[in-house]
Amino acid sequence: MKNTSVLKRNTWRERLNRSTRHGDIPWSLLVGAMAILVLVVVLAIAWMLWTESADARAKIGWDFFRPTLDATWNPAKDIYQAWPFIYGTLITSLVAIILAVPISIGIAVFLAELCPERLRLPLNWMIEMLAAIPSVVYGLWGIFVFLPVVVAPIGKFLAPLSSLPSFAGTLFTGPISEDGTSRLAAGLILTIMIIPTITAISRDVLLAIPDTQREAAMGLGSTRWEMIWQVLLPYGLSGILGAIILGLGRALGETMAVTMVMGNANEATGSLLKAGYTMASLLALQFKEAVTPLHTDAMIELGLTLFAITLILNLLARFLVWQVARRTPQEARA
Amino acid sequence: MFKFTRAFVFVAVAFSFLLAACGTASTPAAAGAPATQAPGSVTLTGTGSTFQFPAEQAYAEFFPAVDPSVVINYTGTGSGAGKKAIIDGTVDFAGSDAVLNPDEITAGKDLQIYPFLAGATVMAYNLPSLDPKNDPKLILDGKTLADIYMGKITMWNDPAILALNPKIASKLPAQPIFTVHRADGSGTTEIFTNALTAFSSDWTAGHGTVIDWPTDKAGTGKGGNGNPGVTAEIAKNQYSLGYVEYAYAVQNNLPFAQMVNKAGNVVTASPDSTKAAMTDFANAFTPQLTAVIVDAPGAQSWPIAGYTYIIIHQTSMTDCVKAQKLVEYIHWILTNPAAIKYATDLGFIPLPDAVQQKVLGTLSQVTCNGQPVHW
Repeated sequence: MKNTSVLKRNTWRERLNRSTRHGDIPWSLLVGAMAILVLVVVLAIAWMLWTESADARAKIGWDFFRPTLDATWNPAKDIYQAWPFIYGTLITSLVAIILAVPISIGIAVFLAELCPERLRLPLNWMIEMLAAIPSVVYGLWGIFVFLPVVVAPIGKFLAPLSSLPSFAGTLFTGPISEDGTSRLAAGLILTIMIIPTITAISRDVLLAIPDTQREAAMGLGSTRWEMIWQVLLPYGLSGILGAIILGLGRALGETMAVTMVMGNANEATGSLLKAGYTMASLLALQFKEAVTPLHTDAMIELGLTLFAITLILNLLARFLVWQVARRTPQEARA
Repeated sequence: MFKFTRAFVFVAVAFSFLLAACGTASTPAAAGAPATQAPGSVTLTGTGSTFQFPAEQAYAEFFPAVDPSVVINYTGTGSGAGKKAIIDGTVDFAGSDAVLNPDEITAGKDLQIYPFLAGATVMAYNLPSLDPKNDPKLILDGKTLADIYMGKITMWNDPAILALNPKIASKLPAQPIFTVHRADGSGTTEIFTNALTAFSSDWTAGHGTVIDWPTDKAGTGKGGNGNPGVTAEIAKNQYSLGYVEYAYAVQNNLPFAQMVNKAGNVVTASPDSTKAAMTDFANAFTPQLTAVIVDAPGAQSWPIAGYTYIIIHQTSMTDCVKAQKLVEYIHWILTNPAAIKYATDLGFIPLPDAVQQKVLGTLSQVTCNGQPVHW
């Protein structure tokens, strides 16, 4: 009895000694603490947003989320309805994702599979530089070059689509203002801003696919196009979805560039060609000179909403990735 | 824990005695021979209004030359943040374009507001059919302006606008009016919406640093970030109209409209016409020393103007050296010709004599630990 316990202690100590000799346990505790730090920060932010917005939630209630674009956000009268800003965030991010995903995947495929060696390095640099440009620079460039030269003509070109029935028609109610500031402008600027994110990750995902996959596809007689479309993209799908999530995250939260090109008006039709707000741009503009305590609280509730939307979209996307990852490439293609 | 708290209280009490002793010792000394403190030893911290930030910045640069013992530290965090900071007691003074609401007056106890500068707001426009050099300026009146921002008057050739501008009537096009406003919370918006509220009973959107613009809803309105943002929107969109600070419009050579004032005269924004508006309301101050000076009745008064304020604790300051310096600082801002020139050069409009006397009268009543503080 006594012997065994001594023995046990010895082995326990020995085991501890052995495992700490190379610093494994301290090391894992250290990195574990870092990982927990992330959790703590996220929870602290969520808790702060929740408690600080308590007054707004109590006083405004569900009226805050009433889904009508003809909504009032008037600090002078303490009325706060946030739907136009939620809509603004979603519609601009949607435009950005719809346009950026095919372009980014196209660039990624080209860089990973088709690009001549001489072009590869400069192109990769360009993509990474695009990701490193501060958003305020995108905003300035947008105001002075991109909006008048590109967005305003596109807006005029799209305006006839307003004859489309119901919602599709409303989306293109013009005319777009002369300088081009509009929801469309914000969507297009966001497209350019998230392309490098999606491209860089998708390219790395494609490059990480083992060559045996390519060789097998080629061996079975597929063309290059068939190999990319039927083998490589399905194989890397979960990684590419992850890249898209990161891009979406950036689009949802982007503030400065959007504020500069979106026109900042609480407009009621929801047309892409008209000025609007996103949640982030409203916060950036109004938080500093908040009028009443309820105004501040309502904006914190708006922050909470943005946080929740980002979280929900992330969870949905994770779920999607998880679903995709469980399937074999064969099933994924079907 | 209990022990710690008691120790803490003891130290705090001892410290406050020390401060009080210091205070009583230095007040008479300061009154007799100023600037006995070491250079840079007194820091006056202020925060708030971004509107008055350029003026505070100039003061912070030049006041230490007058009194080397003082360092002024002002940050532009917004009027709301400034009011909160002075109520919480984290700063020595706050800058604000907005007055204190009743809740804030209760929470702040002895807060006193001092108007020290005014700003005028003007209507800038982009009408390519008008030659800025040879054609007369556009003329608007309050009712028309309110109707434009309400979305009731939508075209440049509306009869109401034509009637005000007989000389250029043929050059006012059948184009929709595109209205521009500040997108960020701003004292300029507060002044402008105060004016619209006074101009017309039809103006129903309220007044404040941020409001919900009726023309935004209709898709004919847009917001710009700061004076530069509004100016850029006006410059880039033909047939647009927007409000900017007078100083900014002058510095950037923007064409801006004349207004028909309450007396029925056509007036141009200028330091003189704004001073006339302040003088009109010299006896309209509330006990907190705030006044709305829009739609002034005087013959030559500019109708869209407003004060910007400094807020301090009138009776509850306990650091009398600091209180002394703060009062000297405000007095210097209000009366020193050089200080007035710094602000005027930046486009702010100084107080006329009648108002200045009133403000100085209240400033002379500041007390510290029950002792009067004199500049």
